Amino acid sequence: MNLNHDAELRLGQIPLRQTVQLVRIDLPAHEMEPLLERGILPGCELCPVRFSPWGDPVLLVDGALIALRREIAGCLCVKHLSADAA
Amino acid sequence: MSVPTAHCEPTGLDPALIEGGPNGRPPLVALIGPPNSGKSTLFNQLTGLRQKVANYPGVTVEKHLGRARLPGHREVLIVDLPGVNGFSARTLDERVTRDVLEGRAEGMPTPDALLLIVDSTRLETQLMLVEPVLALSVPTLLVLNMTDELERRGGSIDEQKLATELGVEVIRANARAGIGVDRVRAFLEGVASRGAAAPSALKRATNVPHMEDPAVEHPATGDLAEDFAEVRHAPAPPPNIHETRAASRRIELPVVDVFVNRRGRVRVVSQKAAFRPPLPSKLTERLDSIFLHRVWGPILFVVVVALVFQAIFAGATPMIDLLDSAVSTSGEWFKTMMPDRWYRSLLVDGVWMGVGSVVVFLPQILILFLFLGVLEDSGYMARAAVIADRSMYRLGLQGRAFLPLLSAYACAVPAILAARTIEDERDRLATIFVAPFMTCSARLPVYALLIKAFVPEKRLLGPFLGTQAATLLGLYILGALAAIFTAFVLKRTLLKGRGASFMMELPPYRLPTLRSLGLRLYDRSKIFLQRAGSIILLVTLILWGLLQFPRQNGAPPAIDESALGRIGHVIEPAIAPLGFDWQIGIGLISSLAAREVIVGTLGTIYGVENAGEDSVGLQARLKEHLDFGGAVALLVFFAFALQCTSTIAVMHRETGGWKWPALQWSYMLGLAFIGAYIANRVL
Repeated sequence: MNLNHDAELRLGQIPLRQTVQLVRIDLPAHEMEPLLERGILPGCELCPVRFSPWGDPVLLVDGALIALRREIAGCLCVKHLSADAA
Repeated sequence: MSVPTAHCEPTGLDPALIEGGPNGRPPLVALIGPPNSGKSTLFNQLTGLRQKVANYPGVTVEKHLGRARLPGHREVLIVDLPGVNGFSARTLDERVTRDVLEGRAEGMPTPDALLLIVDSTRLETQLMLVEPVLALSVPTLLVLNMTDELERRGGSIDEQKLATELGVEVIRANARAGIGVDRVRAFLEGVASRGAAAPSALKRATNVPHMEDPAVEHPATGDLAEDFAEVRHAPAPPPNIHETRAASRRIELPVVDVFVNRRGRVRVVSQKAAFRPPLPSKLTERLDSIFLHRVWGPILFVVVVALVFQAIFAGATPMIDLLDSAVSTSGEWFKTMMPDRWYRSLLVDGVWMGVGSVVVFLPQILILFLFLGVLEDSGYMARAAVIADRSMYRLGLQGRAFLPLLSAYACAVPAILAARTIEDERDRLATIFVAPFMTCSARLPVYALLIKAFVPEKRLLGPFLGTQAATLLGLYILGALAAIFTAFVLKRTLLKGRGASFMMELPPYRLPTLRSLGLRLYDRSKIFLQRAGSIILLVTLILWGLLQFPRQNGAPPAIDESALGRIGHVIEPAIAPLGFDWQIGIGLISSLAAREVIVGTLGTIYGVENAGEDSVGLQARLKEHLDFGGAVALLVFFAFALQCTSTIAVMHRETGGWKWPALQWSYMLGLAFIGAYIANRVL
């Protein structure tokens, strides 16, 4: 296991309205699959647009709004788009 | 076993239809697509049926069969399927879809053609489904639904180019407005002229393991597309996520690769088809900033709920009073018009007073369904699930369970079916178990009758909430608390375990159409009146019969001496501690068939009992038989007890045995007895 992963950005740390790119999903396969099927897969762009009253993020993914639990958002490794360009 | 949902939700045609006539069966066309892409809306347009549609994912959880009539006396059968994002079939509703597509559904051949319907505002993600569907090698029409919305929000797509890229016929549609339906029909005509394939040719060789195969530990993988070859051989999912999370990472790569590769291909296709994604909906953004607001969101949620209850009482009361007096007056009028024979008592005191006393509550039921319809069609339901998710999480359930539980306010039967959308089996069972505690519409006539008779109306919060509406709200809260308590206990005992993730797609807000709301109310009235005309009529007839015997000197006996009276006196000791007399006891027994039957039963018993007197209405009669403590006890009893044969039947089907229904029935009856006893003692 690559220890550097822990230094990576998690979706939970991203401020609202900042689009990021998904790098990796740290979840077991059967929990990951529903995300993949809805277009939340490595390489896609995500933008947290809102937090629910209890702090769970609502993401904009390929034109759809998807509400996740913050625990799941914490399992999504992301990177800034600018870093990608560089 | 037939689907026991007929009384609650309109269903499609009889599966026997598929057997076909002398010329063999008509071709079968399956409607598939991601959740909330408009499959049922198109199904209704094509078949003229009225399968339930609403603006949230997971409305359809069962296959529904309909018939599309085409020119030249031809027809095709159409099967509407639960929405799927892929073919991993993790949930029971997704399995229904997979089984139909693979020709494994009981009594249903493999479809001869497919209508793949996608929401074009989210084209790239939804096109991920195209590849595995086309791999089925069945004639397919790709329907790009909601292209009007796509263009309104600044997006575009060239469907001709998309058709060329995919090698499949593509059309634009707006199923809600009926646009594009003619082109779907043209496709169906082509299917009809080709006819149904011979059954032997239909069954594709499926030499991969089936989900029923005990050798396959993990049933969540299908055999729909070659792409899934890698996934299929992945190890079973770990029973405990946290222990094995690290270990399971080893199998991530193939799964991810399958999707990432497919996504890459889809992107190329959509770029060649000049797809421009739409801008986010401004209306949805604005409304979400209110409805999902940290402070306003939950407050608005409560306000909306309080308004519904006030409307149920304040709005419906004049109508109910009017209907009530119409029933009594017309009953009296019938009496004067008919000769004094035995059948006069049967028709007026038995049937008219029995069935009539239930029918008067139609306005309340309709107001409830009007509100539920607005909430469901607008897209608010999905937001409510998000707001509720954290509380559900603490209980050990997930926000997904909130949607079935909300629909249980209409009826527990569709709610229990809707629990199929819950992936985790323990969560699904827990949701099924607590659903009957939610206050279904069959309790409404009972509550309304007792509240109107025993709770004097006073203003509590100005015009917003009166005492009667507040009492009703209290009963709804009581049911919800019982559900919460039960879920909490269950998830820590019999159905231990948590960790199910929650994900909810939030559809754009849409204005509910008057047509859709009107049809809902029309269908609901029909169901309600059919029930009054069948089950309630039957019960009143039986009760009236039991009140006429044994004859004394050729005349009906005094009510205490009648067969029904004797049965009542036998059970009276059991219910006396709750403050109920034998007439109420008979009502309770008859309500085992369905809750609102008690209203009809009491209407009949009091009608016969006081046949010689002026009709003073059911409320006044009830006051002669119950004191305030007894009335509250009866309300509590109805809040808790599982008096519904349809619920028990559907529980049996959905849990695959009698264990859960038996446990639930006993548990709820026990709770009802204890609750009613305490209420009667305290008050």
